[in-house]
Amino acid sequence: MKRVRTLAAVGVVAASLAIPAGAGAQDPSDGLSGSLSIAYWNYGPAAEVGNQVIADGFMAENPGVTVTLTPIAGENWGAYYANLATTIASGQRPDIAFTASEGIKFLAQNDLVVPINEFLANDPEAAALQADIAPALLQSFAYGDQITALPYGWNNMIVYYNKAVFDAAGVAYPSVDWTWADFRETAQQLTADTDGDGNNDRYGFAWASNEIFPGILPWVANAGGNLVNDDVSAPTANSPEVVEAVTFLKGLLDDGIAATPSPMGDIFTGFQNGSIAMFGAGRWPSATFLNNGFDDWDIQYYPTGTTRQTVAGAGAYAILRSAPDPNLAWELQKYTVSEPVQDSLIGTPDAPRDSIPTLRSTAGKTVAAGIPPANGAIFYGSVDDYPTLTPFPAPAKYSEYESTVLRNLQLIFAGEVPVQEGLDTLQSELVAVVGG
Amino acid sequence: MAFLTPSAVSFVLFALIPTVGVLVLSTFSWNLLGAGRFLGIENFIRLLEDGRLWGVYRSTAFMAGAVLVINLLLGLLLAVLLESRMPRWLRGMFRLSFLFPFVVSSSAVALIWRFLLNKDLGLVNYWLGQLFDIERINWLGSSGWAPIAVVIVSSWKTLGFTILVYVAGLQAIPREYREAAIVDGAGAWARFRHVTLPLMSPTILFLVVINTISAFQLFAEPRVLTQGGPGDSSRTVVQFIYDTAFQGFEMGYASAIAVTLMVLLVVLTGIQFLIARRWTHYA
Amino acid sequence: MRRVRALRWQDLASRGATLVILAVAAFAIAAPFLWIFRGAFSPSDGELTRLPPSLPEAPILDNFGKVFDQVPFGKFVLNSLIVAGAVTLAQLFTCSTAAYAFARLRFRGRDTAFAVVLASMMIPVQVTIVPLFLVMSRLGLTNTLWALILPPIFSAFGIFFLRQHLMSIPRELDEAATIDGAGHGTIYLRILLPLTAPALATLAILCFTYWWNDLLLPLVMINDTQTQTLPAGLVLLAGRFSTGSLTTIAAGITMAVVPVLVVFVALQRYIVQSIAASGMKL
Repeated sequence: MKRVRTLAAVGVVAASLAIPAGAGAQDPSDGLSGSLSIAYWNYGPAAEVGNQVIADGFMAENPGVTVTLTPIAGENWGAYYANLATTIASGQRPDIAFTASEGIKFLAQNDLVVPINEFLANDPEAAALQADIAPALLQSFAYGDQITALPYGWNNMIVYYNKAVFDAAGVAYPSVDWTWADFRETAQQLTADTDGDGNNDRYGFAWASNEIFPGILPWVANAGGNLVNDDVSAPTANSPEVVEAVTFLKGLLDDGIAATPSPMGDIFTGFQNGSIAMFGAGRWPSATFLNNGFDDWDIQYYPTGTTRQTVAGAGAYAILRSAPDPNLAWELQKYTVSEPVQDSLIGTPDAPRDSIPTLRSTAGKTVAAGIPPANGAIFYGSVDDYPTLTPFPAPAKYSEYESTVLRNLQLIFAGEVPVQEGLDTLQSELVAVVGG
Repeated sequence: MAFLTPSAVSFVLFALIPTVGVLVLSTFSWNLLGAGRFLGIENFIRLLEDGRLWGVYRSTAFMAGAVLVINLLLGLLLAVLLESRMPRWLRGMFRLSFLFPFVVSSSAVALIWRFLLNKDLGLVNYWLGQLFDIERINWLGSSGWAPIAVVIVSSWKTLGFTILVYVAGLQAIPREYREAAIVDGAGAWARFRHVTLPLMSPTILFLVVINTISAFQLFAEPRVLTQGGPGDSSRTVVQFIYDTAFQGFEMGYASAIAVTLMVLLVVLTGIQFLIARRWTHYA
Repeated sequence: MRRVRALRWQDLASRGATLVILAVAAFAIAAPFLWIFRGAFSPSDGELTRLPPSLPEAPILDNFGKVFDQVPFGKFVLNSLIVAGAVTLAQLFTCSTAAYAFARLRFRGRDTAFAVVLASMMIPVQVTIVPLFLVMSRLGLTNTLWALILPPIFSAFGIFFLRQHLMSIPRELDEAATIDGAGHGTIYLRILLPLTAPALATLAILCFTYWWNDLLLPLVMINDTQTQTLPAGLVLLAGRFSTGSLTTIAAGITMAVVPVLVVFVALQRYIVQSIAASGMKL
């Protein structure tokens, strides 16, 4: 341990110069040796399990290597990055950090990440790996010309629907090609005052007030827009597409067919007790619902607006500049997209894991294994069917960006500020965060 | 001098150095990583032009003030009532209920409150509608109600302790004083106004100071309940500092905001003590 | 005769009103907990939150088991006990010695030092958390319980509170002891400490409950689940993107609150007495 720290101190200087020559060209017969520490977001016990699988598996395959885990606390991604930064600032230097696509710019801009372009070019296994990963997913870890990491798992935004509520209201389940108009009509039909007290107690839809990924982003993307421009250098929060999406959502609220935006946890609860018929999220609620014994639901793509796009975010084990042996770290990163690790992302029919595997072949196994939901093929299918991937727009100051968006949207959805005016304010505030 | 050593050492390490650290940081631009850049008073100039800061201070002042007033007045009322004649078990039951929220961590309970206060799904609006036919209130999603929701949950959390201190204060009043007043023919209100209240003034000062400190540190409740919104309507200065530091990674600017809060609180307590010196009666 | 009866009615009415007000307030304050306790035995979130609310048809105990499955709950309790207990003992020591110095000793710069203590009382830990974190990590103590125990050891409030209490104890007592040849150590230990017992008890209660419930320090200082305290542990139950379930959280809160509540109920008379005796003079 002590040696790692001393090495790390030297490594900071060494690694900041360049990737050592011969990157990725390690002779497999040599056998790997050394030690690695992985920093990961300790959002709960499940996180520990997943990372332990990787650490133990890698050590079993490479007896000469010691992998230690450095859990980092944080109630959300933003807090995790802050704590990761403070951990690094305080002198601990992990070799590898788990990061989501929304955090990669922060790490890259502060020159904390070793790009993997050279490894991809030189490693003989890289081509086969890349072939089994949808290109759009790799792109979500692009920073300029750099590819910063191989995605380990990912999530896209799809609509969950409560089948019992649909059946009770006599409404057909949503189809693949539904449009915004269909969506609105469906939600309208699902909304009801079931106890007759004059207030609706069942709503067609609800979205999160505390996250933008499963909140407004899919709507904005399907209106053909985004909150920032393509190279994330300037905000586009008051563009006509964003106005259209926000106006559509505000309309659902005004007509009483969407419940007031609430934190995601409360929406899960409302969905399970049948007072919310539909909501949007990634794969992660599946296990929560099944764990609660609730399985009468399925998923569908978001409805088509002007376009149909996949809104996705991914996670990866990025190699940090402080790693004294980037080659060894690269081997571990590769291991996270190897078949055994990817297979562990499938989960079981009772307890699916919370992300979609990165390998197309593993995603296929998930469907074949009958892991709920029934329509689970659209998880991976989305990137192949709708390859225009709207990566989670992620400026370096991601947390501040997200909270700025949420803060202004809250005012709009509360009806305290008109849509256009609110988005104009948002746009001007985002300039300070994103640039432009 | 040996008596001061333990606290002096801990003071230097855990109060002085961090405080000086905040002062130093407030003159820098630093994102936790990399090298900081010395800015001089630039952060403070930016503060003056930061429209959000004043909004946040307004919200904080409203919420802190409301919690303070509610705790002091409602707490006094309930404490006085609690001291009236009643069976012991009943008094024990009441006290227990009042103390309930005080012994559990705010963050976990705020999660529960958040669901209870949900506009369309929550029990609070459901019962208000069933019992009083009140239209659903957007507790957490409107600028008018969000700070009120935070005030309700915070007062709920701290009221029990205030009551406890009041009760202790009431019990410390020598019985003879009140009896003397009764003999003089003073009514209940006059007894309260001229005997109880003056004798309670040290207790009230204690509560004002304690409640002010805790009210200005409001953090967990607004963060869990409303995330400070909508807009900044329920954001406290402490949350603003935390957001700026740990979401915006602007350690320097966050420290500058912290300095303003420090100055404000020192001045505020100073004023409280000055007023108290003229007003407090020690029995 | 009539007048007496009227008086008695008035008396009854005011007593009735008193009880009604107290009962309503007590119910309003306790109601969320009744819901939490009910939630702890509820089979699912859907069942718990369905409107109109009802009692669970078949109460279950699974939620308590789920808490232990998901987090090392026993470890959290133990860590919280260690932290809150150690901080309380340490504060009683540092605060009472410092209070003695400020109340009884004469030394240069005493008033200035006391003014500094007063001022620092107003600086919340949230404000200094960043430098505090850097100090602790330089000492290599982050991710250990020391990071939670050491920072709160200095308590300006505690010093101030105890000093005010010492000031109200007549000086003649220790002056008499000084004549008998007692040193400061003896006076502090033998004379003043016993006399300040109620104030010490009050400080201990305040200190213990505050640090038992603190969330910020563990959130910043501790990354390792096994070293986490109860409040942060309960937040962990809420899970990533709030994927935790209300019923599990409710079971966690129930287990966290019941022991503390039992202690409070058992000790409440002494708590009231000691707060009353401590005078709460500032």
